[in-house]
Amino acid sequence: MSLTFSLAHLLGGIILLCAFLQLSQRRLAAMITLYQMEALVLAAAAFWQGFAQHEINLYLTGIITFALKAVLLPWGLREIVLRFNMVRAVETALPMAVSMILGLALIGIAVLVVLPTTMSSISLTREDLAIALSVVLLGLLLMIVRRNALAQIIGFLSMENGLVLAAIGMPGMPFVAEFSVALLVLLAFLVVGVFLLRIREHFDTLDLSGLEKIERRGR
Amino acid sequence: MNFAGLAIALPFVAAALLGLVGKPRQGAIGNAVASLALFGLTLAVFWGHSEGLVAVDPLAALFGTVAGFVGLTAALVNIGYVSADAVRMPARRWRLYHTLFQIVLGASLLGLYADNIGVLWAAMEGGTIAMTLGVSLYRTPTGLEAAWKYFILGGVGIGLALFGTMLVYLAAQPALGPGFAAMSFRALSAHAAHMDGALLTLAFVFILFGYGTKAALVPLHGWLPDSYAEGPAPLTTALSGLLINVALLAILRFRHLLVANQDAMRPGPFLLSLGLASLFLAAFSFSRRRDARRFFGFSSIEQSGISAFAFGIGGPAAIFGGLLHMVLHTLLKSGLFLALIRAASLRGPAAPGNYGFSHMRGLLQANRKIGWLLAGCIFALSGLPPSGLFASEFIIISQTIQKNPYMSLPLGLGLLLCAVAILRNIGPLLFAQAPHEKPKPAGRSAWLIAAHLALVFLVAFAMPLPLVHLLSHAAEALQ
Repeated sequence: MSLTFSLAHLLGGIILLCAFLQLSQRRLAAMITLYQMEALVLAAAAFWQGFAQHEINLYLTGIITFALKAVLLPWGLREIVLRFNMVRAVETALPMAVSMILGLALIGIAVLVVLPTTMSSISLTREDLAIALSVVLLGLLLMIVRRNALAQIIGFLSMENGLVLAAIGMPGMPFVAEFSVALLVLLAFLVVGVFLLRIREHFDTLDLSGLEKIERRGR
Repeated sequence: MNFAGLAIALPFVAAALLGLVGKPRQGAIGNAVASLALFGLTLAVFWGHSEGLVAVDPLAALFGTVAGFVGLTAALVNIGYVSADAVRMPARRWRLYHTLFQIVLGASLLGLYADNIGVLWAAMEGGTIAMTLGVSLYRTPTGLEAAWKYFILGGVGIGLALFGTMLVYLAAQPALGPGFAAMSFRALSAHAAHMDGALLTLAFVFILFGYGTKAALVPLHGWLPDSYAEGPAPLTTALSGLLINVALLAILRFRHLLVANQDAMRPGPFLLSLGLASLFLAAFSFSRRRDARRFFGFSSIEQSGISAFAFGIGGPAAIFGGLLHMVLHTLLKSGLFLALIRAASLRGPAAPGNYGFSHMRGLLQANRKIGWLLAGCIFALSGLPPSGLFASEFIIISQTIQKNPYMSLPLGLGLLLCAVAILRNIGPLLFAQAPHEKPKPAGRSAWLIAAHLALVFLVAFAMPLPLVHLLSHAAEALQ
């Protein structure tokens, strides 16, 4: 095991841990902090992969990840939390314990699916891919178990971190920096969308369970 | 000449211009002029030559032309729509609207023409963002709800599709090595046999659910009916079929990689089950829909399911049927929505919320021509002869009976249920007693609707020979 492998796996593991811990947090502020840590480690992982693969593109990805995802997006999210006065608890659709057990099961599935199918690939990619898929699935789970729009967005952001983690682990893949920019545009629209569309003005809260007018009206 | 590059660049340039200047009506006219030029370019693509990231094959050129035609007619009807409705939104919002119109067109063309799977993904992503903004344009609570649904479901789909794209790249490593070649459809399908089969299967699952979200296959269809019903009609209804086509073609091309690879799982059962699920969900969702655009949104889910089913059956003839079905459905559905816009505007503003069946009933009293055209479109949608959809559905069913006889029973049942549910609406829509009103003029858009209908008939029953060759070659290459 060279240093390349162990350090890449360590960083991937920390990202996975952050993604998993988000499931256990009730408060938005804590979720945002965890997301910020996740993005920071992701930026570090991108730099490390850039160093290991000698790819200038990956450095670029790292810089973008750091500047926008680790600094700008968390700042915007905190601003929303303050403006909409949502500092307190978050409603969940499932009990914490159940969602964490589901999360564990998803990580198990990801590992069981990815490791046997990638026997021929080099080992760094294999394990990175398993971690990345786990992060993606955990992000999806987070979107399902939370009712709050902002918590769903954090789930989405976390899922997207998993995608970038997978992309930087691919050997010599073109467009990695472009992909991360394109995804960022999507994220920025999400966050800005909540801000500008002022969902709160129309629905009183960011609680999406109130967002069922079409259902009630009988379509 | 590289007409494809021009055809992709034009909408984005037009989008920038339309976003900066102009009153609503001027914007609508500029939009129509740009769409006319675009239609010309999409025709020219057949004789052009392109290489690299955007390399057009004849199939993509055909769907590009369909997209250009639909964009042109939608833009023409849009002039009347904007003139009648200009006061509902500030001028700046109308500029944004026309910008989105062009971006959706451009993204669809980019997605159709792209040879690189990364570019294809980026096009889908751009189209998703533009459509979300389009759906939320009127800023009504229901509109925002629909936009939120679209964004969350579409965003998840886009994310899964990117993961699938990366897995395809990884699966191509043994055959093509690192670099751009492992992301090009041409190179991928030439070397599909040497790709990593297990990884390719995993990739296809992500691709299917990712692009399946955009193609509105059940269980990922939730965004479609709402966003059809709540956005500005010319943008979200007439144009959105184009993005569905991009997604379905992408699924078809990725499916081909699996078929050409010995170690990969057969993609048939996945596609068959998603297709049938879409068909039956639509069949049972048709009842109790009060809003016509939502109703026909479910019909889009149905048609998309039929195409996916045809791709699942496999073989040149079934894929020929599936492709033909996509072309015909796109033409018919956009014609139908243009007729709906005109019909709603006979009874007042054509803004969202005014498309209830009860609001539009008794159309013959308002205008005979529009009424009969709308009825013709709805009848054609049910797939009964002489509608063009009959031809494509006939091909698909006969292929199903040959290759997978047990599947033909649920397919036939689903088609029948859908047809009955659709036909039931014609009666009240045309003949019901409406409040007394003076007949209104049909307007020039009647000709456009009639053109759509005529094309649907002609393409199926008097198909030009070059088109037959094009479709059958494409189906053979992608079988």
